[in-house]
Amino acid sequence: MIRPLDPVTSRQRAAYGLAFFVLFVAVWAWATFGGYVSKTFLANPLTMLQEGWELLTTHGFLFDIGMTIWRVVGGFVLATIIAVPLGVLMGAYKPIEAFMEPFVSFARYLPASAFIPLLILWAGIGELQKLLVIFIGSVFQIILMVTVTVGNTRRDLVEAAYTLGAGDRGIINRVLLPSSAPEVAEILRLVLGWAWTYVIVAELIGSSSGIGHMITDSQALLNTGQIIFGIIVIGLIGLISDFLFKAFNAWLFPWKLA
Amino acid sequence: MTELKIDQVARTFPARQGHAPTRALEPIDLNVRNNDFVTILGPSGCGKSTLLRIVAGLDRPTSGRVILDGQEVTGPGADRGMVFQSYTLFPWLSVRENIAFGLRERGVSEADRGKIADGFIDRVGLSGFENHWPKQLSGGMQQRTAIARALANDPKILLLDEPFGALDNQTRVLMQEMLLGIWERDQKTVLFVTHDIEEAIFLGSRVIVMSARPGRIKAEIAVDLPHPRSYKIKTTPEFVSLKERLVEEIRAEALKVAVHA
Ligand SMILES: Nc1ncnc2c1ncn2[C@@H]1O[C@H](COP(=O)(O)OP(=O)(O)OP(=O)(O)O)[C@@H](O)[C@H]1O
Ligand SMILES: [Mg+2]
Repeated sequence: MIRPLDPVTSRQRAAYGLAFFVLFVAVWAWATFGGYVSKTFLANPLTMLQEGWELLTTHGFLFDIGMTIWRVVGGFVLATIIAVPLGVLMGAYKPIEAFMEPFVSFARYLPASAFIPLLILWAGIGELQKLLVIFIGSVFQIILMVTVTVGNTRRDLVEAAYTLGAGDRGIINRVLLPSSAPEVAEILRLVLGWAWTYVIVAELIGSSSGIGHMITDSQALLNTGQIIFGIIVIGLIGLISDFLFKAFNAWLFPWKLA
Repeated sequence: MTELKIDQVARTFPARQGHAPTRALEPIDLNVRNNDFVTILGPSGCGKSTLLRIVAGLDRPTSGRVILDGQEVTGPGADRGMVFQSYTLFPWLSVRENIAFGLRERGVSEADRGKIADGFIDRVGLSGFENHWPKQLSGGMQQRTAIARALANDPKILLLDEPFGALDNQTRVLMQEMLLGIWERDQKTVLFVTHDIEEAIFLGSRVIVMSARPGRIKAEIAVDLPHPRSYKIKTTPEFVSLKERLVEEIRAEALKVAVHA
């Protein structure tokens, strides 16, 4: 019997999670090996693996993966360095929030991918342009979410700190920051996931390296095996970075789990 | 020598969306002398928390003023320690770090902080839990930590807002004895808010009875029971007669609330 909100053991959780992947590959294999889908449109799992192996061994795909990772991380770290302090200031000081929030909300809806042509014009097709796409796609989102998180700090904790003699600096450094930190870490994890979608888009246009570039190249050759391999690699890297982020957060904020 | 003067303090919360303004406190006068233990007793919603928050400087009176040692209160400060009705330990700090919060804010060295905090951990009976997170503590332990946190700052006056209100009866009695024990030993000026009649008598040297909203001081009753007090005092004739008097006072007020509701 399954009952609402009943927990599962971590072993069961892993097994269930894996089962879906197995099911997914099985359906894919059935559709392709069974001949229900044309080879031109969708490669079968084995071809995909062969193509992937070839990509890695003869086409230097590892270098592309490395480039993509560096772009995501670079743009994301840049955005974080600027957005988190700004978000904290906006969350803590209402006049700053009133000043910045409407513009940031507006900027948040500008799609990062629409900036690509402009950015190419401004920054060329080099690394700076790729980083800027990630940066623009992430920075406004992080600012807004951090602002809300910091602004929602429990008032009773802030009041308790005041009665213990805390000043403005004490309130920010010793109440607002630590109480928001776990949620800010969660926000960063979420936005890092989005950053991955921006980087691929950036690499699809005017790029000579990266996973997105490989996918465009393969499309020209109608090599669906390579395209799918590229997509799966993106998914795997995302899964791994998400897992690492979660583990890191849990290690950083033990009081949250206790 | 500490002296707290509450001088004609009134508080009206402004109207909101078609509702009339809330008159939470009518002008209130109260003096608390050095090392006095004053309990404020009143029905729910009569403005007890509002009064305490004004003394703490977390809220401003609409009129009147609060004067502590000749200085008007204009905001919160370390000289007035507060224990809140809700649990307000910092969840990211251990018990010891919570207790040392105010000390660190004042720039006390780490070694001294540890020493002072450990002394209070011992006094509120939390030895063995100094490295626990608040989440791992029962409600009673959390409030004991909160009391220790306020005391560690060595405030001129300790403000307690129904600190034991959410605890079960047995725990509450133990906590009352603990708090009274600390007061009897260390002497401290205390303003303690409660809606529990026995608690008000057991702890207080004076009980201030507040009326139903808008809150006014309705009666003031001196509690001349000897110290040190133990729970056994609750069955003495003096205690029982005080209790009867207060039950009458409070009952009238509670009825008013019930009729208006
Ligand atoms: N921030 C506020 N804005 C508007 N009205 C408020 C506010 N705080 C309190 N009040 C009102 O003031 C009155 C007194 O509230 P207060 O919290 O002081 O009561 P209390 O005596 O502490 O009650 P309890 O015993 O239930 O804690 C209540 O009617 C409440 O609705
Ligand atoms: Mg209250």
